[in-house]
Amino acid sequence: MAQRGAEQYDAIVVGSGMTGGWAAKELTELGLRTLVLDAGRPTTREDYREHVPPWEMPFRGLGDRRAVETRQAVQRNSVSFDELSHQFWVDDVDNPYSTPADKAFHWFRARQVGGKSIIWGRQVYRLSDLDFEANARDGIGVDWPIRYKDIAPWYDHVERFIGVSGQPEGLAHLPDGPFLPAMAMNCVEEHVRDRMAARFGRDRVLTIGRAAVLTVRHNGRAACHYCGPCHRGCVTRSYFSSVNATLPAAEATGRLTLLPYSIVRSLVLDESRNRISGVRVVDARTREEREYSARIVFLCASALESARILFNSATPRFPTGLANSSDQVGRNIMDHIKWGGASGRFDDWSDRRTSGERPNGIYVPRFRNVGARHADFIRGYGFQGGGNRAGWQAAVRAPGIGVAFKERLTRLGPWSMSFGGFGEMLPRPENRATLHPTLVDRWGIPTLHIECSWSDNELAMYRDMNVTASELLEAAGAKDIRPDARGPSTPGNTNHEMGSARMGRDPKTSVLNGWNQAWDVPNLFVTDGACMTSSANQNPSLTYMALTARACHYAVELMKRREL
Amino acid sequence: MERRELVRWLAATAGISCLEGLSANELLAFGEELHLTPTTGQGLRALTPHAQRTVIAAAERIIPATDTPGATDAGVVTFIDKMLADRYTPEERRRFLAGLEELDGRCRSLRGKTFVDCTEADQVAVLAALDDELTAIRRAPGATSPNDHWFAMLKYLTAFGYCTSEPAMRRTLGSWPRPTRYDGCAPVAIGRTPQGRS
Repeated sequence: MAQRGAEQYDAIVVGSGMTGGWAAKELTELGLRTLVLDAGRPTTREDYREHVPPWEMPFRGLGDRRAVETRQAVQRNSVSFDELSHQFWVDDVDNPYSTPADKAFHWFRARQVGGKSIIWGRQVYRLSDLDFEANARDGIGVDWPIRYKDIAPWYDHVERFIGVSGQPEGLAHLPDGPFLPAMAMNCVEEHVRDRMAARFGRDRVLTIGRAAVLTVRHNGRAACHYCGPCHRGCVTRSYFSSVNATLPAAEATGRLTLLPYSIVRSLVLDESRNRISGVRVVDARTREEREYSARIVFLCASALESARILFNSATPRFPTGLANSSDQVGRNIMDHIKWGGASGRFDDWSDRRTSGERPNGIYVPRFRNVGARHADFIRGYGFQGGGNRAGWQAAVRAPGIGVAFKERLTRLGPWSMSFGGFGEMLPRPENRATLHPTLVDRWGIPTLHIECSWSDNELAMYRDMNVTASELLEAAGAKDIRPDARGPSTPGNTNHEMGSARMGRDPKTSVLNGWNQAWDVPNLFVTDGACMTSSANQNPSLTYMALTARACHYAVELMKRREL
Repeated sequence: MERRELVRWLAATAGISCLEGLSANELLAFGEELHLTPTTGQGLRALTPHAQRTVIAAAERIIPATDTPGATDAGVVTFIDKMLADRYTPEERRRFLAGLEELDGRCRSLRGKTFVDCTEADQVAVLAALDDELTAIRRAPGATSPNDHWFAMLKYLTAFGYCTSEPAMRRTLGSWPRPTRYDGCAPVAIGRTPQGRS
């Protein structure tokens, strides 16, 4: 029997990660008593294990293979999943989903306070009008309801708070922000940058990655000390996560109530008023059901999780899912295609090495279809990567035993430089999540069936990554240039899933308006990755955060005007 | 009763007739556990005392103590036992342990002694021959999974266990403690001294 929570709130935010933390901060700072619900446990300082040395790990960083194969067979495929970060990812047995047998999809999920903001890659890039105008220009999907000028002040707002280190480049299609001092490049990266500039001019630019990692003290958070494994947490709060920054800011207002272990089963629609009247919650530990109510609801549960909540909130008026009169909920799933690229060797600088672990790489902003039109595909990709010297890891399989082998382990390998592409994925309605007819999670909540695959456009782009990465390395004089031979990444593996409740200009073809507000239900906002109308090729979290902050201010404005 | 205890009880009381009641997997496990002495003295779980001595000696020949710590100082055998007991599959474990028996077999053919009873020079000779064979396997056209060879496992576990140990990271590799700043173009020597950081 559902029990109605006694408290009344002005706003409920579902999820406490990248966007939920922002909604919490903005709404509380704007004066709203805000309830934040997270499906997982609280995150504490004890969860942060970035300074644990390898010899104190039972498997020296290789992980508990048996446990992982049994309980986290999907999650382990993420690049930031390891022996000390596995607790930041869900148990796949408790949290199942399905795909067609021939279309694998990696759905990486984090259920704890902080969500995926604890384990994200921290790369932040603005979209530009090259991206916001793309769908209209190409006749793909629907047009974004906003342009760069609408979001630019919110990029500023978010970047000033989180702290972004980077180098201004003055590129129209990758706008600069109020950057903190850039991190340093190493010898090889500087060389490659200069040789690329000589060969390609401003057409193909190499810059230091723009990272939500502090290079100087900022808003009460300490500068990075270059220990390396950010995905294991950060006791100095030097990289941005909701736990490190937005949730404490929300807490400081005295208007935040944060409830962990609160799985949102569904939203309750008051059909007479056409408003969300409640949020149904299952306690993750006791399975007790509760209901909370507020004037507005922000879905920030992550793109596919938010779509799942809408499906599970179907009513007679919305039989295929709440706010789904457009039939676009769950459709147009996008990720970024990767694993195209190349690496090469440099024999110079043998007396030089890197010292310290820089939690950042280099970035080559998109150069395809910026000016000249490419014959094989539309849109484009950026390269991430970097230079380094191999350590003992590259020598453990080397020939020899005894003193010579031991000496080999202590000797650094040659410098190498690698480029890996992140390519834009087009929105296609058939890339779609639906509610599974029978499969439920540990709490009895119906889960998703996900069908998602690359189109010819992404695959053509992927092939081009190998070619152009090799060109960059050739221009820099690299030897032994090897294209990435892994084949295209599995959809979802980039952990940039988005698009499942897109913004648009027309309620018939989109779920959300230009303010992330559901066309069908005015007091419902969806501001996580679900809202994305196109994927661009940039890492998307910054855009999610900016859209969230913007939507919060809009919602509060509507409330003040008594329109909500 | 835990399966492990059951198996030990069976072994201790020669209750072999009870085996009829065990499933195929339990029988397999029984076969494995029979090779274990209930107390190895150092809490090892996959290596018998003899296998333990063999691994310690082989690892020290692969990464000897010099002016910096060797495999024994780094406690490599404990790491290898942990990996065999808790990470490797039964098949991988069997292959590794059979390899140690092969090592003894080679030494018996050569000197009529087990590996641990051979001189260090003979141990080095036998391991060097195995290393050459492994290198030849790696270089053979169309080589399939040379890393699965038991000697490849032994050498990898030794090197990995060594390089992730406290003595090696602090004193041989200079990779601990970690630096607290980033220098993208530091002199190589910075990582070579015990005080240095890499």
